[in-house]
Amino acid sequence: MPEKLKHIFAHALINLVRAGWGGLASIATIGVSFVIIGIFLLLILHFNALVAEWKEQFQVSVFLDDKITPTQLEILGKRIQNEAAVKAIAFTTKEEALVTFRRELRGQESLLEGLGDNPLPASFQLKIREGYQSPDALRRLSAFLSRLEGVEDVQYGQDWIERISNAARIMKLLGIMIGSVLTLGSAMIVSNTIRLAVYARAAEIEIMRLVGATKAYVRAPFVLEGMLQGSLGALLALGLLFAAYRFVAPTFNLVSPIFQAAGDRGFLESSMMAGLVGGGAVIGALGSVMAVGRFLRV
Amino acid sequence: MIQMFHVYKAFGKDLEALVDVNLHIHKGEFVFLAGSSGAGKSTLLRLIFRDELPTSGHILVNGRNIVRMKPRAVPHLRRTLGIVFQDFKLLRDRSVEENLALVARVVGMPTVEGQRRVAQLLKLVGLSHKAKTPPYKLSGGEQQRVAIARALMNDPLILLADEPTGNLDPELATDVTRLLLEVNARGTTVLVATHDLKLAQEAGRRTVFLKQGKIVEESH
Repeated sequence: MPEKLKHIFAHALINLVRAGWGGLASIATIGVSFVIIGIFLLLILHFNALVAEWKEQFQVSVFLDDKITPTQLEILGKRIQNEAAVKAIAFTTKEEALVTFRRELRGQESLLEGLGDNPLPASFQLKIREGYQSPDALRRLSAFLSRLEGVEDVQYGQDWIERISNAARIMKLLGIMIGSVLTLGSAMIVSNTIRLAVYARAAEIEIMRLVGATKAYVRAPFVLEGMLQGSLGALLALGLLFAAYRFVAPTFNLVSPIFQAAGDRGFLESSMMAGLVGGGAVIGALGSVMAVGRFLRV
Repeated sequence: MIQMFHVYKAFGKDLEALVDVNLHIHKGEFVFLAGSSGAGKSTLLRLIFRDELPTSGHILVNGRNIVRMKPRAVPHLRRTLGIVFQDFKLLRDRSVEENLALVARVVGMPTVEGQRRVAQLLKLVGLSHKAKTPPYKLSGGEQQRVAIARALMNDPLILLADEPTGNLDPELATDVTRLLLEVNARGTTVLVATHDLKLAQEAGRRTVFLKQGKIVEESH
């Protein structure tokens, strides 16, 4: 058995070298396909990270009536805290709100000069539990809070989160669609390259079959060659993507402005990289089986 | 060893290659299959190594019905056979010994044993000194001997040879026949297809005559 394996590996390598430009072209094509698939993967990852981050930071602001009494405030605070949806609650006084606002307006403080009295309301900031972040649940919570005594307004940025989530979903769908088309195309290109290799060795294959080689034995070196082409293509793509991600994108400030929250995220996780290389191998193997299968049936 | 019962083989509607062939070849026998070209000799041989299936009838090789055999089992059938092709089917880009070693590898023979066997067979066919030569640098007779040596690599129970002397001048043809008889003397059943009646007569072995796909005569 080990000798057979040695033979299979040796032949796969020899064939890969013999395939020359054809082999390189098929590796490069798989590489390009995988770069595109990888870009989608990175985008989806970053979008998801962004959504998660925003969900984490997400809060509902309950703005309070200026005329609220300290007793009312205390009762209101307790009432809100007892809500199942509320994970944490923080209180911001009118003064604190103004300080924050001033900080946000740095450089343009003059705008505030004409205001006279502090117009900003005091507020509660609520962190919402995971299960209560759906638009419906938030709408219910918001309606309930609005009716409480001393509450003037309730605000939350749920529609933004929804939009980002939708964008991530569309991206995923698009990625899957484009990915499948590219995968199929890559398999066909490998299939073509391998078919040339099969034809080049037609005489040897015929003799092997006639002296009692099993189909698997004939097929194995070609399948391995396809797997090599596929995984090398995927590796090439990962290299290109990594270079682009680490060196090109930061230079042009491509990543950080859109994905500030996810900016410190690393490259693709190692399991994903392994998955891509494995995927390349599978595509290569499929292409080879298509090529050799047709030949062996004759 | 080889038994054929009412074997018919047609290619398409009009071309009947074999018609009601009944043939029994015993273990250790040496049989000539004689007939002009197109008589169905090659087809008959190809049925035996299951390169073709008969249109009807049954074929037993080593007691196994190869018509009903699953495709998966065909490689194992072929490993019990040695085949010498009319056109030799030697690989141009390999040396003589590499051509032989290919069989050893395919049947999973350990390398050392394979090498020993290659040396042994090249000695038998008198080509030890051409081991490293590529086949296209050999004469027709030498190539034929390489083809025979390769057919013997897996120590077959049956040797099938299709026109092994077809491309050779009479003297070399006699040499090759002598070699095949020698192989037979070592216990291998041999079936040789030839259009050279004189050769068959000279050898004085059982000869089956095929004409237009039918067995017309047998002689001993």
